[in-house]
Amino acid sequence: MSYAYYPGCSLEATAKEYDISFRSVFTALGLEFEELEDWSCCGASAAHATSKLLSVALPARDLAKAEAQGKDVVAPCPACYQNLKQAREYVLESEENREKLSKALEGTGLEVKGEVKVRHPLDVLVNDLGLEALAEKVVEPLEGLRVVPYYGCYITRPPGKESFDDVENPTSMDKIIQALGATVLPFTRKTRCCGGPVMMSNEATMHKLSYEIIKEAKEAGAQAIIVACPMCHMTLDAKQPEIEKHYGEELDIPVLYITQLIGLALGLDPYAELGLDKNIVSTEKIVQKYSKKMVKAKA
Amino acid sequence: MTDFKSEVIAAGGEGIAACYQCGTCSGGCPTVSAMDFTPRQIIRMVNLGMRDRVLSSKTIWLCASCYQCQVRCPREVKITEVMAALKSMAMKEGYNSSIAKPRAASFYRNFNEIVANLGRQFEPLLLLKTTLGSRESITSKLGYLLKNAPFGITLMKKGKLPFKPEKISGSEEVRKIFENVAKMEAGE
Ligand code: SF4
Ligand code: SF4
Repeated sequence: MSYAYYPGCSLEATAKEYDISFRSVFTALGLEFEELEDWSCCGASAAHATSKLLSVALPARDLAKAEAQGKDVVAPCPACYQNLKQAREYVLESEENREKLSKALEGTGLEVKGEVKVRHPLDVLVNDLGLEALAEKVVEPLEGLRVVPYYGCYITRPPGKESFDDVENPTSMDKIIQALGATVLPFTRKTRCCGGPVMMSNEATMHKLSYEIIKEAKEAGAQAIIVACPMCHMTLDAKQPEIEKHYGEELDIPVLYITQLIGLALGLDPYAELGLDKNIVSTEKIVQKYSKKMVKAKA
Repeated sequence: MTDFKSEVIAAGGEGIAACYQCGTCSGGCPTVSAMDFTPRQIIRMVNLGMRDRVLSSKTIWLCASCYQCQVRCPREVKITEVMAALKSMAMKEGYNSSIAKPRAASFYRNFNEIVANLGRQFEPLLLLKTTLGSRESITSKLGYLLKNAPFGITLMKKGKLPFKPEKISGSEEVRKIFENVAKMEAGE
């Protein structure tokens, strides 16, 4: 089975390393995919705050394209994942919704039946590939690495009929990390919002929420925070220097995308294949310790 | 004009009448400490038809759409959907007063505009347009841009900010969807 890969706008820009590492890891694991041709923006929070109909009509264009190819969509950005998933649920819900949506798509020649599923990479890795198959591919076990998984909001909320993880205590990322040989530390803020959506309107609130997440991770003894969302990565990684300044405190904890972590364990090139030089907080210590490729290059 | 409560219900807030004011929503809300009314209070105020106070509140712009309240509400009130509907109403009715955070509304407006033009988002332009288009003083706008300039440069050095926007070949379809939805909503 091949998936239709929907990168979304962030993975083309500020989350470039998520895109790079997603492609490398899926390829290395033998999970076939092809980028959805000429995809458009899912509408994100702006469409949601404008109208319910707009928030399903924009991703409907992408669903229609994936349906034409008969492929399930895989969307690494949880906000895109939710919007696409909710568009599918909207279509499947009632005849009235289908009529409304086809009116919204009038003149575009597009048609949506809700035939293909919308999946998050965590779901594909745990449920399609399976943890055993993943563990078998590990060439560089991440032994001794202690991390916390941070899920944020949209991987699990709002839950739909096809959600793949628990809404209060998700564990898919925990299991993946363990399959790589690393240690998952207990963490209460797994699904507490990082404040990303209010970054522009209320910086202080974003600083506070992200600071609390980083602080708990550090107090737990984590060497890194592992995420699967470009917005969470933006607040926890790219904004970390700003948060340090705001609180007058050195934090210095790297924030890795789950696909970057998997790639290290698979022995992929840390920079060319995983973009680990693109994270704002340096990932050097982890790369040095766990990347064979890196050691070879140095020798 | 129909009454406020029915409008909110029609815009996705079905079930708000079932709220029994337990406060579970406010208890789990990550941004509640910065709000002027808690989510529980907002639901009550909508049920009481207090249009003006609700639409000019800071709360609706501080809602991060995190869905924490909604998944925990014992009465299945769709609080996050209510907040989104309120933002949309406030924008349409020009409730973007100095009490509320003006940059949030500008962000949504400009986000839509860029997507309607290109079919995709282009982050550098969004940041610029959001700041310039918000109802705040020139000093505050420039201050914000200046403060964020080093951050932009950092991202650029890492190759994480594209220099020029990319227009998809189906951008006309996207524009058409925006137009259709706007027409449908005006006709309702
Ligand atoms: S959690 Fe639900 S029932 Fe309780 S106050 Fe909030 S909206 Fe009302
Ligand atoms: S969705 Fe909005 S109101 Fe509800 S808990 Fe999150 S930030 Fe608070």
